[in-house]
Amino acid sequence: MSPESQIRGGKVIAGNNIYTGIIGIALFSVLATLTFVAVKCYFQYGTIFSVP
Amino acid sequence: MSTLTKILIVLLTVSSLFLCGIVVTYVANADDYKQKYDDQRDDIRASKDKAKKLTKQIKEKSEEMDRSKKKLNSSVSSLKTEVRTLKGKIQDLESEKAALSEKVNSWASITKDFYETNDKQGQLLKNTLGELDVLQAKQIKQKKELDETTSILRERMAIIETLESENDRLLEERSELQNRLGKGLLPFGKEPARATAVTPRRGPSRRTATREAPATRDIALHGLVTAVDLRNSMASVSIGSADGVKSGMKFHITRRDDFICDILIIDVDSEESVGILELIQQNPRIGDNASTNLNF
Repeated sequence: MSPESQIRGGKVIAGNNIYTGIIGIALFSVLATLTFVAVKCYFQYGTIFSVP
Repeated sequence: MSTLTKILIVLLTVSSLFLCGIVVTYVANADDYKQKYDDQRDDIRASKDKAKKLTKQIKEKSEEMDRSKKKLNSSVSSLKTEVRTLKGKIQDLESEKAALSEKVNSWASITKDFYETNDKQGQLLKNTLGELDVLQAKQIKQKKELDETTSILRERMAIIETLESENDRLLEERSELQNRLGKGLLPFGKEPARATAVTPRRGPSRRTATREAPATRDIALHGLVTAVDLRNSMASVSIGSADGVKSGMKFHITRRDDFICDILIIDVDSEESVGILELIQQNPRIGDNASTNLNF
């Protein structure tokens, strides 16, 4: 638990919103990359995980 | 929030962005191996099909080649036999050519001989034409002499006729004188001589006399050819000096109505005469007629 986080009425409130946005961007880029790779695999090989 | 946490958040974000960028770039540039595999597989199948077709075509071509080879072999054998027959024909033609060349040579020699003979015959013809000219000149001369003789004969016949008319006149005068003499002698009891009719007797008697005169043809000599020597151009006739044949006389030899030749008598025996053949139209034979006059 971050020391700067505050719990108000049972909810967790971020101490600094900038770093939350940065983490969100990182998470979004990772998800977008996974989605791109999955779509590319599906359209090229017909499957996402298995070997054709 | 501590500073370390902040630094870690930033590093995590930067590294994730970097890695995601690398991954996206790699995946975007990666080859489509499935497509390549399918293309290669299709290519292999097409190549196999092509190979099958080509092998089939090769088989067909080889069969065709075998058939054409058989045909060519048969045609080669037939052509060989034809070549053999043609060679035989060529040999036959060469032998024929040799025979024909020999014939040509023989004909050339015959033609040469023929030309020589022709020249000789031409020379003989010239000589004969010269002789003919001489004979024609002689004939013209004889014709002139005959005309002269005929005119003389006519003159003499005219003289004879005048003499005969004079004779008749004299005979009539004589008969008249005899009549007168008879009339004068009757008173003296003498019988006068019988008067002869002169005028009626004159014509027939003279005609008889002229008819009885031998014609030219009747006094001709006739005989037969008894021997012929064609090498020396001589012949003998069956009549001689006993029949009136003389040396230098000319007999005309005839067979039926054809003139054969003339014989100029050069030797006369009592029963036979020999002469040279002249103006030969045909070869005389034993038994042909020989006459001094032509009786066609």
